[in-house]
Amino acid sequence: METSQEYKIDCQHISKTFVQKGTQRVHVLEDISVNVKNNEFLVILGPGQSGKSTLLRIIAGLETPSEGNVYLDGKEVSGPGADRGLVFQSYMLFPWKTVLGNVELGPKLRGISKNERREVAQHYIDLVGLKGFENHYPHQLSGGMKQRVGIARAYSNNPELMLLDEPFGQLDAQTRYFMEKETARIWETEKRTVLFVTNNIEEAIFLGDRILSLQGKLPGRMHAMYEVHLPRPREHTEMKFLELRQKITDASELTL
Amino acid sequence: MTTPATTTATSSIANEIQKQVSEKRPFSLSRFLKDRRFLYCVSLTAFFGIWKYIDYTQVLGNGIAAPDAVVAQIWKLANKTIAGKSLWGHIWASTYRIIIGFSIAAVIAVPLGVIMALNRYVNAIVKPVFDLIKPMPPFAWISCAILWFGIDEPSKIFIIVVGTFVPCLLNAYMGIRLIEPQLYDVIRMLGGNRKDEILQVGFPAAFPAIFAGLQISLSCAWTCVLSAELVSARSGLGFIIIQGMQLSRPAMVLAGMVVLAFVAWATTLLITGLEKKLCPWKREAVQM
Repeated sequence: METSQEYKIDCQHISKTFVQKGTQRVHVLEDISVNVKNNEFLVILGPGQSGKSTLLRIIAGLETPSEGNVYLDGKEVSGPGADRGLVFQSYMLFPWKTVLGNVELGPKLRGISKNERREVAQHYIDLVGLKGFENHYPHQLSGGMKQRVGIARAYSNNPELMLLDEPFGQLDAQTRYFMEKETARIWETEKRTVLFVTNNIEEAIFLGDRILSLQGKLPGRMHAMYEVHLPRPREHTEMKFLELRQKITDASELTL
Repeated sequence: MTTPATTTATSSIANEIQKQVSEKRPFSLSRFLKDRRFLYCVSLTAFFGIWKYIDYTQVLGNGIAAPDAVVAQIWKLANKTIAGKSLWGHIWASTYRIIIGFSIAAVIAVPLGVIMALNRYVNAIVKPVFDLIKPMPPFAWISCAILWFGIDEPSKIFIIVVGTFVPCLLNAYMGIRLIEPQLYDVIRMLGGNRKDEILQVGFPAAFPAIFAGLQISLSCAWTCVLSAELVSARSGLGFIIIQGMQLSRPAMVLAGMVVLAFVAWATTLLITGLEKKLCPWKREAVQM
């Protein structure tokens, strides 16, 4: 099947069923079709147990869809790869590596020379605001700082697509607001196509160009697509921000 | 690479600065009485006091020697020879058996455990036999060992190998098995292959568990070497203890036990030190 080249990511009729304990079938996603333009920030919004993380893992190539296909730049996704950077909810830093060691791992695995990968790593460590922490181990960092490392690590491979799986789900509310601002800043500095999974409506409106909202129970179905026409940088207290928030909140309550 | 013990970071990120606070406080009696080090002293003084009292009142008859008699006995042992060996010679005899037996077990069991955890076919072939042997106490092998290898060194080393093999293998196996699968996902997303998964995640992540296994094995090794020496030996710390028993000299038995405890403790420190050197990312143990 051919797909248009104008989309960075094109998901066509994705369904996913997990088989548990050999017999039990869990239907997680049903008929998801979505596309993302180049350098677009798409937020996938849904409550817990709506299959949104599974959708992201399918796009990452870590899971295979039961039905349907994912195309990246018109080519079918068949497995994980360095052209996509993934940021995990629970950070998944390597505790035995320093901040620098974690961030330079991607280039190292691709066989980039030491000097070159140090330079790349340093650039992204500076970008996420961790200058001076290069030789710290993850256990010496706070949650917000750990996720900065996670973002820098994903960026350091220079991926075309950034996938963030509820990256701030483990942070306290204040740090979360702060990290959302940081994410917007980093994205403005180094534009990438971004898929950002969250369960937080405010976070979705604050960051997204478009918001794909999923239905609130399994299997996850597409519920609505919102376009966010708010100028950046956005404010949580703007009238239009609050109106959109009200709209999304009202709509998602109907599905419960 | 250096690891700072505490993070004294100066950063522009205002809400993410850690600070270490330490103050000097004036002396007070109530705080002194609650001081940890003072209570340690109380505990040890009471222990040795009761020990001395038991010896003094002869509750256990002649079966026990006072702490000072034990220290004097250690001093005496250090300056004379038993069965042609000084105390150091006997310590070395036991330690040597442990080094050989423990090394053989570790070199075979750790890689085997790792391979079993990584490859399900190897696991399926080795596991049933291993499960069969696993619950057998190492001491049960002693008669077999003597029948097969005689009463000399090989039988003692065999006992140590058998006794340390199980914890070494089990911990290496579990160390690999309990790795968070998403850590492998990180490697795959960064463009790594199966080899990178094993080298970058498998080994380092299993390292602490492997070392825990080595620690447990080492204490097992001391139990095994003592058992073997109690059965038949002409050297080693077990031999000193048996000699003391046969000569009805409790001071000598206790002296052997105390020296054994010290040497076993020292070898444990060695492994802990090695682990600290090889795993600098591990947190400092929480103070008890």
